[in-house]
Amino acid sequence: MKRVGIVALNTFREAVRDRVLYNLVFFALLMMLAAVVVGQISIGIEESVIVSLGLSAISVIGLLISVFIGVALVSKEMEKRTLYALLAKPVRRWEFLLGKFGGLVLTLAVNIAAMAAGLFLVMLYVKHSLQQSDAVVLVAVYFIWLKLALIVALALMFSCFTTPLLAILFTAGLYIVGLYVQELRNLPVDVMSPAMAAFTKWLSYLLPNFENFNVMAMAAHGRAVPGRLILQNTLYAVIYCAIVLTGAAAVFSRKNLK
Amino acid sequence: MALLLVLILPLGFAGIWRLQHGIDSQLASVSQERDDVLLRSGKLVKWMSLEYSPLLADIYWTRVVQYYGNKHVRGQVNLEMLWPLLDVTTSLDPNLLVAYRFGAMFLSQAPPAGAGRPDQAVELIRRGIQANPDYWRLYEDLGFVYYFDLKDYQKASEAFLEGSKKPDAQVWMKIMAAKIAAEGESFSSSMFLWNDIYESSSDPLIKKNARQRMKLLKAQEDCKQLDALADEYAKRNGRRPARMSDLVQAGLLRGLPADPEGFAYVFGEDGKAELNLDSPLLEQQLLLERLNKAVPR
Repeated sequence: MKRVGIVALNTFREAVRDRVLYNLVFFALLMMLAAVVVGQISIGIEESVIVSLGLSAISVIGLLISVFIGVALVSKEMEKRTLYALLAKPVRRWEFLLGKFGGLVLTLAVNIAAMAAGLFLVMLYVKHSLQQSDAVVLVAVYFIWLKLALIVALALMFSCFTTPLLAILFTAGLYIVGLYVQELRNLPVDVMSPAMAAFTKWLSYLLPNFENFNVMAMAAHGRAVPGRLILQNTLYAVIYCAIVLTGAAAVFSRKNLK
Repeated sequence: MALLLVLILPLGFAGIWRLQHGIDSQLASVSQERDDVLLRSGKLVKWMSLEYSPLLADIYWTRVVQYYGNKHVRGQVNLEMLWPLLDVTTSLDPNLLVAYRFGAMFLSQAPPAGAGRPDQAVELIRRGIQANPDYWRLYEDLGFVYYFDLKDYQKASEAFLEGSKKPDAQVWMKIMAAKIAAEGESFSSSMFLWNDIYESSSDPLIKKNARQRMKLLKAQEDCKQLDALADEYAKRNGRRPARMSDLVQAGLLRGLPADPEGFAYVFGEDGKAELNLDSPLLEQQLLLERLNKAVPR
C-alpha cells in the first residue's frame, strides 16, 4: 500500500507541475463575473444562478481534467518510456494503476475543494450571509467528486487497452450514455420482445448511472439531500470504481509492454 | 518586430472595431428583427442539456427577462416568444419559482405591461403548482390573474382559499378568498393585492408597474367618491357642479382634491370627475382602457 501511496503522491505532484491547477484562475474569474453581471440582467435568480453556475463549472472543469489527464496517466508513461523504469522496481502493475488513480483523484479533490471555497465566497458576497441549507452545495460538490472519480477509473481502464484518442472517445461516450440510463429504463417495454426488454433492463443497471450524482437542482434551490442518498452514492462510486479498476488491472497485467 | 506589433495590433483592432460598426448598420438595414426560439420543446432541450439543466434554466430565464425588458423599453406589444421561452425554462427546472411568478405576470397583464395572455399565465401557474404544490405564493398569483385579468372572482376566491391551506400561507389569503367571494372586485382588495406585489418584489420594473397601478386605482376610487359628492351637490342645488371649487364652496370638500401625482381632478363634459389633462396618469389610464377593450379575453 505504501508503494501505491508513493505513486499517487508523485502523480499529484506531476499534475501540479503540469499547471493543472491553473483552471482555478478561470473559475475565479467566471464566478466574479457572474456575481456582478447576473444581478443586472436577470430577475430573482441571483442566488440560484451562482450555485448552478458554480457547480456546473466545477463539473465541467473536473470532467475535462478527469478525461484528458485520466487517459494520459498510463499512455504518457508508456510513450515517454518512464513506465519501464518504474516497473523494473518492486512495483506491481496493479499498484501502479491504483497509485495513478489515487493521485488524480487527490488532484481533483484539491482542485474541487479550492473551487468550492471560491463558490462559497461568491455566495457569501451575493447573499451577505450563509445558512444551514447552503450545506447542500457541499453535498453536490462531493457528488461531483465521486462522479469524477468514476470517470477517472473508466478513462484509466480504456487507456489500458486502446489508443489515447479512442480512450477519450469511449470515456466521454460512456459518460453521456450514463446520463441517460434512466431513459433506457423508461423505454416502452410493451412493444419489445421479452429478451430485448430484459437486455435493456440489465444494461441500464450495468452501465454507470451518472444521473445518481446530479443534485445540482436541489442545491440551487437549497433543498436538503437525504443522508441515505449520500451513503448510497458513496458506496455506488466505491464499488463501481473497484470493479472498473479491477478490470483495468487485469487488462494492464496481461498487456505486452515490449 | 516588437515595434511593428505595437503599431499593428492597436491599429488593426481599431479598424476591426470601425468595420464591425459598419457591418452592424448594414445588417440592421437589410434584416428585420427576428425573435427566435430555435428549440421549442422543453423536453428536448432538457434532454440535450446533459446534467446542466438548472444552469440552462437560469440562462433561459435570463433570456425571458431580456426579451420582455427589450420589448417593454421599445413599447412593442408583440410578445409571442414569451410563452415558448417560459415553457422551456420551466421544463428545464420545474422548481424555478421565479419563472412561474414573474412569467405569469409578464403573460397575464394587458399590453404594453404584458402579453395579454392570462390563459397562458393560468397554465403556467398551474404547472408550477403541480411541481411545487406546497408553495402558497403560486396560489396567490393564480388568484391574482383570475381577479384582475380574467375577472373570474369565483375562481380567484377558490385559488386564494386553496393557497391559504398551504404551509406558511399568510392569514390574509383566507380573508381575501372570503372577501372576493362576497364582493367580487373592490378597491380595497385590488389595492391590497397590488401593494403585496409591490412589497414582495425587488425588481424595479415590477415595482414601478405595481406603483403605477396603485396610483390609478386610487385615482379611480377618488373619482367615484367625487361623483358621489357631485350627486349630493346636484340634490342640494338642482344642478351639477361645473368645477371642483363648487364642491369646496358648498362645504362638501375642504380643498381642491388632487390625484396621486398632485394634479387637481376636474369635471368632464358629462359631469363626471376625471383626471386632469396635464396629469401623467391620464395617459396610462387611457392606454389601459384602450388595450383592455382591444385585447380579447
